[in-house]
Amino acid sequence: MHATICDLITDLVQNSIEACATDIKLNVEETKTNLNVVIADNGKGMSTAVLEKAKDPFYSDGQKHKHRRVGLGLPFLFQTAEMTGGNAAIKSTEGVGTTVTFQFDPANVDLPMFGNFTMAAVTLMTYGFEGNLTIERSVDGAGYSISKMEVLDALGDLNDTENLILLKNYMASQEEEIKVL
Amino acid sequence: MAKMTLEELRSLRDTKKKEMTQRDSGGKSAQIIIGMGTCGIAAGAKEAFDAFLDELNSHDVKDTRITQTGCMGLCFSEPTVEVAVPGMPRVIYGNVDGKVARRIVKEHIIGKALVSDHIFDKPAADIIK
Repeated sequence: MHATICDLITDLVQNSIEACATDIKLNVEETKTNLNVVIADNGKGMSTAVLEKAKDPFYSDGQKHKHRRVGLGLPFLFQTAEMTGGNAAIKSTEGVGTTVTFQFDPANVDLPMFGNFTMAAVTLMTYGFEGNLTIERSVDGAGYSISKMEVLDALGDLNDTENLILLKNYMASQEEEIKVL
Repeated sequence: MAKMTLEELRSLRDTKKKEMTQRDSGGKSAQIIIGMGTCGIAAGAKEAFDAFLDELNSHDVKDTRITQTGCMGLCFSEPTVEVAVPGMPRVIYGNVDGKVARRIVKEHIIGKALVSDHIFDKPAADIIK
């Protein structure tokens, strides 16, 4: 499984990007007893048959890398859920989009550390894709929301190092605010 | 750090932009491409990304772009990072943890010398075909 929950989230949002989504919503909600994550996209979706196969680590649609026979993103999610007594579900409709949800127990000793959400958000916001990504984030009720379009509007070029540093500081300040409380 | 608003973010950007136009950068910029596939993420590509930002910032290197890509087919040597500095050969570095990322900034991007012990020359054949 991935080393941190944030790595897992990054990987799953990238699936949405690769599914040609133009609108992705990432909701990450932490409370003392629950970690609740929803990733909803309007990408190309999957048929029921493909969806079943996608849970198999030895399945890949073969479009990205012709000779590869593995796809570990979703299997990592289900492995983590299984090993920590959490829930993970994926719903998809071909041509409409895919929604991945999971709930983990923060107190479970086998659950990976949460990780660095600031850098996860920075990498996802600046991953080269045309669409929008909206992040809703909360810890024990305190939260913030930010979208890639807002960031793009404020900063412009998101691959410029100076803008990346500003974005990182911005995200860090949002995270700090909700973690302090 | 106090919670920043989008307005503050915008005005910071404008201040930086002004500084930038006053500076004569020569218009040649280096490019860093970080492999962010499942393999890269698992191996710590985000830490490398963070270290690049931090080191570029602390050395005040401005004219550099950082982009991301998927798996480059070198999963055994993740995190992998491609670096293109004008006038130097494009190289792919493997096993780039935070420490190596900082070395790449200091030695390659600023010092214009390759970090020889981490070089892989090009992506795996089945990826570039």
